[in-house]
Amino acid sequence: MGGVLRALARVPAWTWVSALLGLILIALDLVSRPVSVPGATALTSATAVLRRVGAGTDDPGESRAVRLPHIWDDESPPWEGDAQYHLGWPQGLEPTSQRIGLYLPRVGARFRVLLNDEVFVEQNWHTVDYVDTSVVPWFFEVPEKLLLPNPKDNRLVVEVRGQLLRKSGLSAPVLGPYELVQQRYERVYWWQVYATWMVAACSLMLGVLTGLLWLHGRERVFGLLAAACFSWSVRLGLTPLVDPRMPFELWFYLHKLSFTAYCGFLYLFLWDLFDVRARWARHLVVALLCIGPFWLAATTWVANYNLYRIWTGTIAAVSVVTLTMMFMRARWGLDNNQRLMVVVGLVTLITGVRDFGVVQLGWPGDGDLRWMTPGSLVFMLTLAWVMVQRATSYVQKVGELNRDLELKVREKESELRLAFEQIREAERTQVLESERRRLTRDMHDGLGSQLVQTLNMVRSGADVDARQVESMINHALEELRMTLDSLEPMEGDLPAILGTLRRRIAPALEAARIELEWEVEEVPAITDRGARLESRGVMHLFRCLQEVFANIIKHARASRVTVRTWTQEGRPMLSVTDNGVGLGPGYREGGRGLSNIRLRATEIGAHVRFGDAAPGTTVEFAFSATATTGMDMSSP
Amino acid sequence: MSVSTKNASQMQTSLYLIEDDLSVRDFVLHTLQARPDWSLVGHSDSLAHASAHAADAAANVYLVDLGLPDGRGEDLLKSLAKTNPGAELLVFTVFGDESRLIGALEAGATGYVLKGCTSEDLIGAIEQIQEGGAPISPLLARMLLKRFRGPDDVAPVQAAADAVVKQTLLSEREIDVLRLVAQGYVNKEIARKLDISMHTVGSHIKNLYRKLAVHTRVQVVRVAQERGLV
Repeated sequence: MGGVLRALARVPAWTWVSALLGLILIALDLVSRPVSVPGATALTSATAVLRRVGAGTDDPGESRAVRLPHIWDDESPPWEGDAQYHLGWPQGLEPTSQRIGLYLPRVGARFRVLLNDEVFVEQNWHTVDYVDTSVVPWFFEVPEKLLLPNPKDNRLVVEVRGQLLRKSGLSAPVLGPYELVQQRYERVYWWQVYATWMVAACSLMLGVLTGLLWLHGRERVFGLLAAACFSWSVRLGLTPLVDPRMPFELWFYLHKLSFTAYCGFLYLFLWDLFDVRARWARHLVVALLCIGPFWLAATTWVANYNLYRIWTGTIAAVSVVTLTMMFMRARWGLDNNQRLMVVVGLVTLITGVRDFGVVQLGWPGDGDLRWMTPGSLVFMLTLAWVMVQRATSYVQKVGELNRDLELKVREKESELRLAFEQIREAERTQVLESERRRLTRDMHDGLGSQLVQTLNMVRSGADVDARQVESMINHALEELRMTLDSLEPMEGDLPAILGTLRRRIAPALEAARIELEWEVEEVPAITDRGARLESRGVMHLFRCLQEVFANIIKHARASRVTVRTWTQEGRPMLSVTDNGVGLGPGYREGGRGLSNIRLRATEIGAHVRFGDAAPGTTVEFAFSATATTGMDMSSP
Repeated sequence: MSVSTKNASQMQTSLYLIEDDLSVRDFVLHTLQARPDWSLVGHSDSLAHASAHAADAAANVYLVDLGLPDGRGEDLLKSLAKTNPGAELLVFTVFGDESRLIGALEAGATGYVLKGCTSEDLIGAIEQIQEGGAPISPLLARMLLKRFRGPDDVAPVQAAADAVVKQTLLSEREIDVLRLVAQGYVNKEIARKLDISMHTVGSHIKNLYRKLAVHTRVQVVRVAQERGLV
C-alpha cells in the first residue's frame, strides 16, 4: 500500500491530471451525445402554430412545419407569444402494453402538454413573474386513461410560451417505455443540475478561502482568484433556477455578467500567477471587464440575442488568445506546474469552444449540458493546487531567509560581543591603570617621602637617634598598611572603615594623651556616584580623617575626642568632635588643612561642615547612600 | 591587650618558628631572652623542613610565616591542625591583610601577630592566645560575619551532620561580639557594652576561629555531598 502511494507520489501531477481530464471529457461526450433510447422515439419534427403577442383569441395563428430543436430566438423576427407543437404519435408504441414516459430535454420558458385535447401537464403556465422551465429537463408519465386504443389516433401537443433571449422553444421530446426514458432523464438531470450545484459550492468554498488569504496578505493574485471564484459561483448558482424570483432583465444581466467577470478575473489571475508580462493582453482583458457591464446592459435593453452571441464570441476569442500565450510561455520541458496548467488550460479551452459551438452555433450535441461546468471544477482545483504549492515554496523560502537572517544576527551578535569584550577589557585596563596610578601616588606621597626623610636623617649626621629612626620607619610601615587596608573589600561600610583607621591612629592619640570615645553605630553603606565606595574612596576618607586627627593632635589641645556615626534622612553621617580650644588660627576655615579635607571629601561626594562644639571643634561629614545598608548585621 | 602571667607561668611554653627571614628569627630569639621560662624547641626555614619536623617537635605554640620560599604556609597550618590539635598556631605576617588572614584561619590558625611588632607585643600575643584569647580586626570581624551568614547555614541539616553543624553555628553572644568588633570597638569597650569580662571577649573570638575552621570543613563536605562526591 505504502509502496503504491510512494510510486503515485513520484508520478508528476500533470500526467494523472491529464488522465483524469481525459476521462471527464469522454464521460461528458457520452452523456451529451444524442443517443437513442431503445424502444423509445425522439420526435424530431412537428407542426408549430404560433400566436403572436397581442393577437386576439380568434386568431388561428401561423402554422408551419419545423425541425426540432426549434429555437425562437433563431427565427427572423424572433418568435414571441404562444406556440403549439403538434407531434405525431410514434409508430409501434403500443399504449396498452406498458407505462409510457415523456422526456422533454428542453422546453420553455413555460409549457403545458395536451393529449387528445386534455391538459395533463402544466408548468408555470400561469405564473406572473419571470420563469424559465428550459434550464432543467422534464419527465412525465403519459396518463393511460387519456390514450386512445388506436395509437395513430393520439394527438400529442406541447404548448410553449416563450421568453426573448432565453432560446425558448422545444427540443425533440422522447416518448417510450417509462423506465428507460426515466433513466435517460435522470442521467441528464444529474449532469445538468446536481453537477452544477456541486461545482458552484466548490467554487464558493475556494473563493472564500482565497478571499481570506487575500484579506490576510493583500496579495493581488489571491484577490483575483477569489473574484473569479465568486463570479463563477454566482453564474452557476443562477443557471439551474426555474423560478429565480427576480425580473428577467436582472437575472439575465447577472447571469451573463458573472460569466464575463469569471473569465476576465481568471485570465488576470493566470498572468499574475505565472508572472507573464503581456501588457497588451492584460489591457485587452481589463477592457473586457470594463466594457462587459455596458455591452450586456445594452443586450438586455434591446433584447437581441445576436448581441450576446457577439459578446460570448469575444470572450471565447480572448480566452483562445490568452491560453495560447500561456502555452507559448510555458514550453514543454519546463516545470511540472506549468505542464499541469497547460494541460488543464487546454481542456478548459476545449470545453469552452465546445459549449460555444454547440450552444451558440448549433453544432451537434446536447446544448443544455455545458462542458465548462465540470471542466471548470478541475480547472479551479488545479489552480488551488498550484497556489498551495506556491505558498509552500514561499514558506520554505521564508524559512531559508529566516535561517540566513538568524545566521547573520548570530554573526553580528558575536561581533558585538567581541566589541563589548574589547571595550570591557579596555575599561578594565583603564581601571587598573588608574588604580595603579593611585597606588603609585600613595606610595610616593606617603611611604616614599617617609623613607626619604628617614634616609636623609640617617645620612645627615653621626648623631642619629635610633628611637627617632624606629618611629619614622614605623610610620612608613603604618602608611603602607593603611594603603593595603584601603584595598580590602569594605563595601562602603563606614564603621568598618573607621574601625580600621582607629587601629592606625590609636597609638598617636594615646601618645598625645587624648582619650578616644567611640560612639559608632551601623549606618547605610556609603556610595560614590551610585556605586559603593571603592578603595580609592576609602583612601580619600582615610587621608581626610588622618588630617582631622592630625589637626586635633597638633592644634586642638584637647583631652578627649569623640567619633560618632548616625543616620540622617537615609544618609550616613560622621562627626569627629574634640573638647579643645576650638577653631583657632591654625584651624581656620580656608586653611590648608581644611581645604585639603574639603577637597578629598568632594572626591567621594561627601559634604563637610566645621563647627564650634563649645568647647572644641566638630567636623561633620554627610555621605551619600543608596537605600540598602552597608552590611546586613542580622543574626546568622 | 591584657597581659596576665597567671596561667602562662603555670605551663611550660615551648615555641616552634617556621620562618625563612633570619632577622625575624633573631628578633624571636631576642624576645625569648625576656622570658627565660619559654623555649624555642625548633626552627624551620622552609615548608619541606617544617613538614618533616614541626609536628614531631610537639610545641605549644607554632609561629608560622605564610610566605615560605617553597610553598604556602596555609598548607602547613592545615596539617598541623590535624597532627597537633592542642597546639596554638600563630600566623606571623607583615601586613595583617584580612583577605589572606581569613584563609589562614580557615586552615586552622588560632591567631596572628604582625611582623615589625615589639618584643612586648609578641609576648603579649603569645600570652593572649594561651589564655584563650585571640586578636581580631574590624575587617576580619566583618568578613567572619559574612562567612557565617547566609541561607546555607540554616538550610535543612542532614541528621548525620547535625552535631557538627551545630558546633559551627554562632551563639547570640558571639554575633554581638563580632558586630561590635566590626564597628571598630576594642575589647575593653565590648566587655563594658556587653557586661562581660575582657577575658570572655577574647575567648569568644578564639572560639569563633575554631568554628570558622570547622565551618569551612563542613562547608567543603556539604558541597561535596551536593555534587555527589561523597
